[in-house]
Amino acid sequence: MTENMAWLPLAALAVSLVAAIAIFSLPETARPVRTVINLGAAVCKVALVALMVGRVSLGFEDTFSFQIIGGIDFVLRADALGVMFAGLSSILWLCTTVYAIGYLEGAANRKRFFGFFSLCVTSTLGIALAGNLFTFLIFYEMLTLSTYPLVVHAGTQKALAAGKVYLRYTLSAGVVLLLGVVILYSLTGDQSFASEQGLDRYLDDHRGLLTLVFALLVGGLAVKAAIVPLHGWLPRAMVAPAPVSALLHAVAVVKAGAFGILRIIYDLYGIELSALLGVTTVLAVIASITILYGSLRAITQAELKPRLAYSTISQVSYIVLGVCLVGPFGTIGALAHLLNQGLMKVTLFFCAGSYAEELGIHRIDEMNGAGRRMPLTSLAFTVGALGMMGLPPTAGFITKWYLGIGAIEAEMLWVVAVLVASTLLNALYFLPIVYRLWFCQGPAHGVGQWPDEQRLGRLETHGWLLWPAVFTALASLGAGLLAGLPFSPLEWATRVAVGEYLP
Amino acid sequence: MTLVFVMALLWPLCVALRSTWQLVRGYPAFDLAWLSAAWPALVLAFLGEGAWEWPAWMLGGQWALDDLSRPWLAFTALLWSLAALHARGYFKAALTRARQGDEEQCYKLARFVLLWPLTFAGNALLIVSQDIASFYLGFALMTFAAYALVLHDRTDEARRGARAYLVLAVIGEGLILAGLFWAAGQEQASTLAGVREGILISPQGVWMALLLWLGFGVKAGVLGLHVWLPLAHPVAPAPASAVLSGAMIKAGLLGWLVFLPLGEEGLSPALVAFGEAMLVAGLAAAFLAALYGVCQRHPKAVLAYSSISQMGMLTALVAMGLIDIELWPLLWPGIVLFAGHHALAKGALFLGTSVSEHLPRWPRALTWAALALPGLSLTGAFGAGILAKYSVKHALEEMHHTPLILLLTLAAVGTSALVGACLWRQWHQRDVGGGDGFQLAGWGLAILATLSVPWWLPLPEESVHVPSLASFVELAWPLPAGVLLLAAGVWLGKRLGAKPLAAGDLWWLYRRPALGVVALCAGVAKRARRAKRASVERSLALETWAMTHLTRALEGETWLRRHGSGLMMVFAVLLALLLIWEGRG
Repeated sequence: MTENMAWLPLAALAVSLVAAIAIFSLPETARPVRTVINLGAAVCKVALVALMVGRVSLGFEDTFSFQIIGGIDFVLRADALGVMFAGLSSILWLCTTVYAIGYLEGAANRKRFFGFFSLCVTSTLGIALAGNLFTFLIFYEMLTLSTYPLVVHAGTQKALAAGKVYLRYTLSAGVVLLLGVVILYSLTGDQSFASEQGLDRYLDDHRGLLTLVFALLVGGLAVKAAIVPLHGWLPRAMVAPAPVSALLHAVAVVKAGAFGILRIIYDLYGIELSALLGVTTVLAVIASITILYGSLRAITQAELKPRLAYSTISQVSYIVLGVCLVGPFGTIGALAHLLNQGLMKVTLFFCAGSYAEELGIHRIDEMNGAGRRMPLTSLAFTVGALGMMGLPPTAGFITKWYLGIGAIEAEMLWVVAVLVASTLLNALYFLPIVYRLWFCQGPAHGVGQWPDEQRLGRLETHGWLLWPAVFTALASLGAGLLAGLPFSPLEWATRVAVGEYLP
Repeated sequence: MTLVFVMALLWPLCVALRSTWQLVRGYPAFDLAWLSAAWPALVLAFLGEGAWEWPAWMLGGQWALDDLSRPWLAFTALLWSLAALHARGYFKAALTRARQGDEEQCYKLARFVLLWPLTFAGNALLIVSQDIASFYLGFALMTFAAYALVLHDRTDEARRGARAYLVLAVIGEGLILAGLFWAAGQEQASTLAGVREGILISPQGVWMALLLWLGFGVKAGVLGLHVWLPLAHPVAPAPASAVLSGAMIKAGLLGWLVFLPLGEEGLSPALVAFGEAMLVAGLAAAFLAALYGVCQRHPKAVLAYSSISQMGMLTALVAMGLIDIELWPLLWPGIVLFAGHHALAKGALFLGTSVSEHLPRWPRALTWAALALPGLSLTGAFGAGILAKYSVKHALEEMHHTPLILLLTLAAVGTSALVGACLWRQWHQRDVGGGDGFQLAGWGLAILATLSVPWWLPLPEESVHVPSLASFVELAWPLPAGVLLLAAGVWLGKRLGAKPLAAGDLWWLYRRPALGVVALCAGVAKRARRAKRASVERSLALETWAMTHLTRALEGETWLRRHGSGLMMVFAVLLALLLIWEGRG
């Protein structure tokens, strides 16, 4: 094998970009060709990312870079942390593409949808592989813009209003982030994540400035990561079609924010410096508030998708909380949750979308007895819900366990209390849904009628809607049951954490 | 051996899968495969000891059959097998209705058939687990799958019982999780032994022990957390009550045995004090539950209180492991026998409640004698019960814990009264006919198993002690005493016109404040929503105001631009005048 396969990260990025361009240049009616391109690109990307994973596990770090203007480089680097996020996004992109093809069957504007969908994934991968702040910023802003058409896809008044709110939040956050980057650049003259000297040497003279920059950077990223009180856009963005919500919550936007925070703390500032500045404790408190607030708001939601949205707000902050515990166990928990939450949340959104398409269910009180009508979908939903509660054998338990151990290791007992409270709150808003699915009498038992029933397929629903949900549910079970296998989320997270703490 | 081990855990899951497949194709069936769900585990328990490891499993899987888990698995699996046998007869009528096209009945049975083996799988897994993740997985699987067994009938009472069960189970899970995090985090352990170690060496060990005690205490019916038992047991089908009260609450006890540092060297004074508190709580439960239980109307509620009372005695015995570490090696084998005997006796009694509702056409004396047998054994005056009680007592006698022996003997009076009350209630609610051979077979075998526990259970060494005649009298006198007390109580109650007490005692006490808290939360949420809306409106108004002013300011700029030349002229003239004025001075 060669030392540096620079083309690899670039090719992984280019696959979906090329797909986007091809889709935009095809006419709206060319459905079969578009499907082939979509699926082909997604499969190609999974293969390329798998190759990258293999290379990273062998100890290579493929880097592609060229200079744009003096001192500013465009860098793509396949390191362990980035590849982890890239793997998640490529696998879930494949699932979501399959789902979206089924979901949008016969809908209008599919060309626009899939084009921007591909662009959205391109930006996510760019964020994952970005080797310096500048590249990160480019893809981060590109993500904002390419997601907007997806959020407003329905074109209704409500969708447009939600899109407006989304842009207000994310664009102003982008400005704040940019400000932080510029101040940092003016201080150090360097914008690489993995700068050799680190920022430690500025600690004595520029402590205040470093803290300010940290606040600006993390504040800018916190909007996408939906940390309270900057979360307002997320529940509104629920008007987007189900596959978009799935992608938004599991990988693309929300995770991009969380991933950015990981990059800032681990690679830009370094964990020791962050702890020295005292910013991690503050962030841990904010994350805890978010966890509890999101769960509390979720309880009050009567509709399925907003409930899931508030649950995302709560769950994504686990990642931030894990990082802020400043210890190997917390880090493993945070990184594993990045993957596990993605798998579980995407399952839940797939199922929510299937319920809406097949039976017209939007409200939770309409779900009575849906387990009988759609058993596999409901099983997948149940797995996802139990995973969110952190029950074994789902992946959610693994992360919760590492976070709990990490909290004890960091001697932050109150974090354990937060985790337990969050588990109880999760039970409070997920168990009633599971109860309704399996234990209540509904239209499937001859009581009442589904809001809008359609028979989309020979099975309980369209196969393209069913199988992605089943696959991700199985994956989130497998990620918990066989967490000790090589290349499982836990094992990879451990690899990254070991790299961080034992260089 | 390994093959049997894998089978023991996987077979119930296969049975569940098979049931699912049957449901897709037609009706639920209580066939041979379904009955056999617990058989491989039973075989495993009798094969011998062993240990297994699989690092890829969750946080690293470790399982073992040792002195403790082997007998535990044996009595658990046996009870599950017998209860399944009984269930086949119990649900015969319902199954016929389902086959005739009763959709609702069909759906109910389907749920039961599916979740029964799953619940057992959880129960078996937790018994053989040596690592935390497997134990917690088994515990959670058992807890949540059993919810369906309690809810089965879907009447209002069943819903209430199931809700009480679930609410407390979730609280228990939370407590266990907190305790496990805390104790395992000390040593970053992933095994049960690591948790014990963590509790032992940590300065805050007593709090970890408290969390775990209460968490598992939800299952084991610790006083205050026991309220689900009398609400859930009467409403669940008899076979489900049998495993709930026989096997599943023993899982809570097992949780204490494996997680608390019982009998370990170097217990901190705080832990010893905690043991004393546990002892008091256990004894209080033993007596209070007996007092409250005899006043119940439903025979299964009486039995539920009897379970609380028996578990109170076991709590007190477990507490001795923290108070007197030298006693513990002598005591714990007796506890295993005690627990196994109680599991089977209680199982047989619960199965008996369904038999007394469908009495076979046997001689009356024979039937009622058979119904009374497991109860008599439970009081410690008959059959295996004598050995079970005496083995515990023997250990206490050797270490001279006379007051405790006296208290336990007094508690046995309560047990006798409870058993009497149960039979009396069964007599009042008896009915003849409509039974089934399987129902009787399951029940009969359970009685036989109860009476012969010490002879077939693969007990650890030194667990069975045979009493002398003098000690036997000491064991036996609570039975007549209890029955006499009960008779006196019944007579007095009739004279005073007293009514039976409501099952669930403290539940009704907890309900009011809990509803209050919910209402309070709703009120706060409403206020918060109003406050948020107001603040959003205010900020929007502020924004509009700011924008208007900004626009006006920008308009001012336009005005400036339009009159630029004029203003420049004025400025120039002013400047000139100023210069002139300056120059003059």
